[in-house]
Amino acid sequence: MIVDVKNLVKTFEQRGIFPWSPIRQVKAVQGVDVQVAPGEIVALVGQSGSGKTTVSRMILGLEEPTSGEIWLNGQRWDGLSEAQRRPLRSKFQYVPQDSMSALNPQQTALEHITETYKVLGEQSASEAKQSAKNLLVSLGLSERLHALPREMSGGEQRRVTLARVLALNPKLIVADEPTSGLDPERRDSVLEALFGNLPKGAGCILVTHDMAEAKQWCNRIYVMLAGRAIEILDLEKDVPQHPYAKLLFDPWGAPLPEKELSKVGCPFHSNCPIVLHSKCAQTLPTLQSLSDSHSISCHALYTTSNNTEPESVSPHAGETP
Amino acid sequence: MSQLIELRDLWIATHQRDLVKGIDVDIFPEQVTALCGPSGSGKSLTARAMMSVLDVAPGLRGGHLRYPTIDSKKDWFADVVGKGMSGQMRLLKQTRHLRGHFITYSPQSASSALNPGRTIGRQMELAIARRPNPPTSLSKEIVRILGQVGLDRASVAALPGELSGGMCQRAALAIAIAPNPDLVIADEPETGLDPVLRRAVIELLVSVVRQNGAGLVLISHHEDTVDRIADAVVRLKPQVMEAK
Repeated sequence: MIVDVKNLVKTFEQRGIFPWSPIRQVKAVQGVDVQVAPGEIVALVGQSGSGKTTVSRMILGLEEPTSGEIWLNGQRWDGLSEAQRRPLRSKFQYVPQDSMSALNPQQTALEHITETYKVLGEQSASEAKQSAKNLLVSLGLSERLHALPREMSGGEQRRVTLARVLALNPKLIVADEPTSGLDPERRDSVLEALFGNLPKGAGCILVTHDMAEAKQWCNRIYVMLAGRAIEILDLEKDVPQHPYAKLLFDPWGAPLPEKELSKVGCPFHSNCPIVLHSKCAQTLPTLQSLSDSHSISCHALYTTSNNTEPESVSPHAGETP
Repeated sequence: MSQLIELRDLWIATHQRDLVKGIDVDIFPEQVTALCGPSGSGKSLTARAMMSVLDVAPGLRGGHLRYPTIDSKKDWFADVVGKGMSGQMRLLKQTRHLRGHFITYSPQSASSALNPGRTIGRQMELAIARRPNPPTSLSKEIVRILGQVGLDRASVAALPGELSGGMCQRAALAIAIAPNPDLVIADEPETGLDPVLRRAVIELLVSVVRQNGAGLVLISHHEDTVDRIADAVVRLKPQVMEAK
């Protein structure tokens, strides 16, 4: 496993404007398990505020989890000091959402990537330049080697940030909405550049709210709602079943939710078309597996589809507070 | 039902190439007209031409534009075709009274298009001031319009930076409908929103505009959205480069 995350929890403290105003606890992530095997592309999808970005940032150590375990490539990652993490960092890479601010406005595309190779320290200056050239050409930027970021289109800028990540030959790439703000046609070219050049055996986590992207590229999809994964599925084999996941994949297929997410019980129950009984409003459903690739957290669905006592996948996720 | 806009044979070009050519658009009240096409096909350019906003050189090379409800005969492009930038600037001045009153425009990426230093309420005030007959109670009117788009009283005093992306989108829509326009042009109102929010914003846009009896031009590249809500669709193709 490249990534093995167990029962990840993150609580942010939100302070009021005055020193004496009460501190509010915002539960951004409430018990998430994520696994990424070598060569696997995994998507985290969900609405804004569902905690998908927080999970991805915690996996890279950009955010300290409140509790839970993170194992990267068989090594315990959370709790390490920055000095201990530093030598490993180059293997776990992050693709930022806003490429314009991630690139140096004074450096050309080629200079960016050459510098990356130089920092790695394995090649001489001329070799570094040659490898950088090769990489940029393979990402379709052969015409833009000497362009500054402001002279490039949004899609080209994204591909330069991708090249910088791919140059490090990472084991894990976390891409946080790498296509946001791009036109649909340019999105494909960026994702093709990323997934077509993925180092062998590397894992990738794609954070997105474009379901078509997730469907096209990803082996496994985690559907996030209110800080939890409510359905895990492989779209090649499985069909989304959780009413919230259905809504996300086909927003025009059902009436829109009108009420806010509830804090007790299943977060979606106040808007759910298939509420079973009082259980939905009282207890949080746990994640149960329907098949090897498909797990779901819904009271109504596993009583109808699984008559036998369902096997619990995550013993932590379902405990009621 | 009187036609709002009649646009014929629109042809806009730069010195190097044609940007749009041979586009006809008819806009009617209470109808949703979608402008569809890949990026670079001239969707926004066509929408701006409908508002008489032209800022390409040499720009307009052909076409006729009529606003039948304003003036049943007048072809607004008659003196502009082939006159370059100066003709386009003249047109911009002539039609200034129409924009923000007869036609309003809801821009792409609302959060950056709103003025970050003015409260939503103040920006609404300025939009309502474009009406010929100002309402008796300004604050009541602001709250009423915000209510239509699903924002509460608290957002009157909020700055755009304090609102979420979806709320900013709603605020931009509220500002677009505040002057009681006959036509609203919405330029990709769904960019950057998640699928559920995207549907919510589009449905809101259509219902609010219909309620006010106005027409709607929706620029979008989401085919599924367009198929579901548009009464008429204008599809644009990118113009091929031609050597001159």
